Amino acid sequence: MTLLEIQNLRVTFDTSLGKVKAVEDVSFKLMAGETLALVGETGSGKSTIAHSIMSILPTNAAVKGQILFRNQDLVQLNEKELSHIRGKEISLIMQNPSLALNPVFSIGHQITEPLVIHESLKKSRAIAQAKDLLKRLHFKGPGVAIKSYPFEMSGGMKQRILIGISVILNPKVIIADEPTKGLDSRLKGMVLEELKLVKKMENSSMLFISHDLHPAREISDRIAVLYAGEILECGLTVDFFKEPLHPYSKGLLESLPEKGFKPIPGTPPSMIHPPEGCKFHPRCPYKKKICSRKMPHFVKVQGRDVKCVLYS
Amino acid sequence: MKSHTTWNRLGLILVAFFVLAAIFADYIAPHSPWERFEPYTKPSTKHWLGTNDIGNDILSELIHGSRASLIVGVGASAIATLLGLFIGLISGYFKGFVDELLMGITDIFLMIPRIPLLIILAAFLKSSFWIIMLALGLLWWTSTARVVRSRTLQVCEMDFVTSSKCLGFKNRHIILSDILPNIFPVALPKFMLTVATAMISEASLSFLGLGDPSMKSWGLMINFAFIKGGLINEMWWWYLPPGICIVLFVFSIVLLGFSFEEEKKVAIK
Amino acid sequence: MAISKKKILRYLLALFIIFSLNFIIPRVMPGDPLTNLLGEEFSLSEAALQELRSELGLDSPLMLQYIEYWKNIVLFDLGYSYHFNQKVISLITSRMKWTLVLLLPSIIFGAILGTILGALSGWKKNALPNKTMTWTFLTIYSSPPYFLGIILLYIFSFKWGLFPFKGFYETGTLSDIIQHLFLPVLIMSAFSASRNYMIMRGSVLIEKEKLYVVYARAKGLYKDAILFRHIFKNAILPVLTLVALDFGFLFSGALFVEIVFSMNGMGTLIYEALLSRDYPVLQGCFLIITLMVVGANLFADVLNGIIDPRVRERQ
Repeated sequence: MTLLEIQNLRVTFDTSLGKVKAVEDVSFKLMAGETLALVGETGSGKSTIAHSIMSILPTNAAVKGQILFRNQDLVQLNEKELSHIRGKEISLIMQNPSLALNPVFSIGHQITEPLVIHESLKKSRAIAQAKDLLKRLHFKGPGVAIKSYPFEMSGGMKQRILIGISVILNPKVIIADEPTKGLDSRLKGMVLEELKLVKKMENSSMLFISHDLHPAREISDRIAVLYAGEILECGLTVDFFKEPLHPYSKGLLESLPEKGFKPIPGTPPSMIHPPEGCKFHPRCPYKKKICSRKMPHFVKVQGRDVKCVLYS
Repeated sequence: MKSHTTWNRLGLILVAFFVLAAIFADYIAPHSPWERFEPYTKPSTKHWLGTNDIGNDILSELIHGSRASLIVGVGASAIATLLGLFIGLISGYFKGFVDELLMGITDIFLMIPRIPLLIILAAFLKSSFWIIMLALGLLWWTSTARVVRSRTLQVCEMDFVTSSKCLGFKNRHIILSDILPNIFPVALPKFMLTVATAMISEASLSFLGLGDPSMKSWGLMINFAFIKGGLINEMWWWYLPPGICIVLFVFSIVLLGFSFEEEKKVAIK
Repeated sequence: MAISKKKILRYLLALFIIFSLNFIIPRVMPGDPLTNLLGEEFSLSEAALQELRSELGLDSPLMLQYIEYWKNIVLFDLGYSYHFNQKVISLITSRMKWTLVLLLPSIIFGAILGTILGALSGWKKNALPNKTMTWTFLTIYSSPPYFLGIILLYIFSFKWGLFPFKGFYETGTLSDIIQHLFLPVLIMSAFSASRNYMIMRGSVLIEKEKLYVVYARAKGLYKDAILFRHIFKNAILPVLTLVALDFGFLFSGALFVEIVFSMNGMGTLIYEALLSRDYPVLQGCFLIITLMVVGANLFADVLNGIIDPRVRERQ
């Protein structure tokens, strides 16, 4: 069953340097109970997609397309309607836990906040639930943690707290935005375990956003590769890592340490003046003349969607 | 966010207006402000704003008054800002004990009640605008010092400073060529706001009769209006114009100061 | 403890230094030290003058005079005023309460009004009422408080006779007192509010851009709830410090307003003392005002420690 469907999403930012085309014609579906990984380099538009779904883009952003959730187009809803969905049905685990937490409020206050707002729970019951949640997230002293403040917590703890806040209301969709960024391998493993646990507990769907292929591989059922604001390949994770189809995907896998650390030549394109035709063609070893003129359409190859002239 | 440019433009026009009035006062004013005519006259074609208690033409007084505000305001602020820059830079750059000491001194200066101290000093000494300017400057450097210091601390963390140190540049050189240019965007709005505060303080002291009597100042005009019965006799043409001038001049400087701050914020983004 | 011992020491040191400054000033000023210490209104015979000189210890070394000075302060003896014919300390205490009656409500009103309006203005920067408010408060901010006082006095008291223009309210009913205080408190509140407004507005504008605000929205918080639940507590921190630092400035403003409205407080006391060059009174007032400013700073530090958990931790 399709839970969330993005159709032809296009997001542009109006800046003093020009119009930044952050997301260009992105479409994908998120099924109930599955984890879809969105991978791509920094600046490829992953967080923008996440923020578009949550409708928390800054004021200079223009959104076109449809984001369908439970038969509603989130793009068309007003702020009040959206506020009922955010945190409760769809929630976001933000990048940068240090800045996402309010420095002057206690952890307890911030974890119980969704409960108080969406379900009008009494403070005492909310605190009990929060302590429970913290225990499940492997906090040794939930009572102490409740009373502490963000500056007293380590980066890893704050990350887990963000996860806790985002799942406390059992949302149907959890969007995890780079949850393992900047963490050492031990913490990375721990966070992934937490996320798997949480997914199992609530049986929710997860959109896992990362530039790191390893956690994406470990946690996701399906994977979509993003480049310069477009999805180039989308399919089952197992198949993808066995045999990537798109030249960019191939390049990504070859750049992994265990496969030889071979970098993809060139640099990511400007988002204000992107290249004509296929955005990847300047760096593609298989490029043909037509690649610089026309953008290819999605083709189904072995059950996967690929956007490349090689397969049409 | 174009609002800051409107502020900037408006502030600039008004400030230019007053500065020009101050510089060319002798040519613009219809009479010498010291010349005596018939006192207490109402506004007429001969004296557009009437005359004061000793017969000076109020309009001429008004135009010349801009000089006092400008000189004391800018002068005091220059002293204060230079002092604040110096202390803030040294404090933020060298840190450690020097920082503690200088910040301790700053804290103490911050707690001195300024206007009362100025009143006492002016009471003991003969009021001259040099003394007022100096005293204002020596008391108002504190907030500039604080702001400069925190910015210096920030800038010191930046890599180009570390690389300068690694290249073996002398401290004085680093401070002047690497750090100081980065402090300007923060120091400039502070300078403007200090000018505004200095102007209001000068007007306040003059209102109490502590201004320099050898110089026409708006505050002094209001003072005379107040104690020589201008208020009770409803001589609005005497006390209203100087007051409005003070407000407008300070307003325009505050506008400039805030617009510089807005620009700085946009630039940092 | 919401405030550290180190901070308290700093405040005591500041008091010590400023009080010492007060000792030094009359002794380094030009003129006869006797006049500098007693004011210019007294007149005694030459013999009495000589007696006074030795009584004041002007013949003794500076160090002894300094110790004597501190002894007097501890005993609350701030000297004698020849102009008013009273002990300075009793003069000040009798006048101080009227200044506080003007100042304290103004600070409170100004703080509440300024922070709330400033927060709303920073939150919805481009709404027309907020723009008008900003211009209005900017104008108030740029005016010397006594000028506002003069204008309002003229309009409301002379022209329309709504309020009295002299401050005789010692003998009067509550409504009488309120009538006398209304305009001055209005002006001082507007003055204080304009400063708080500017800072709060700027503070909210900065906090608005921070990530925790976006995150609050992502959690499902809606519009004004975000402002008042999350931003306010963070944005108000600089305001608190400002109110304390500003206390001296506001106090001075109050002095001028008192003069314009002929009220019976410290302002008119200082004014009269100034006109008659009554130095003991001027210096005594300086000391008391210093004490109050330091006290206000201390209070703000304590308040800051209570509200901001990070400050507590650093101590």
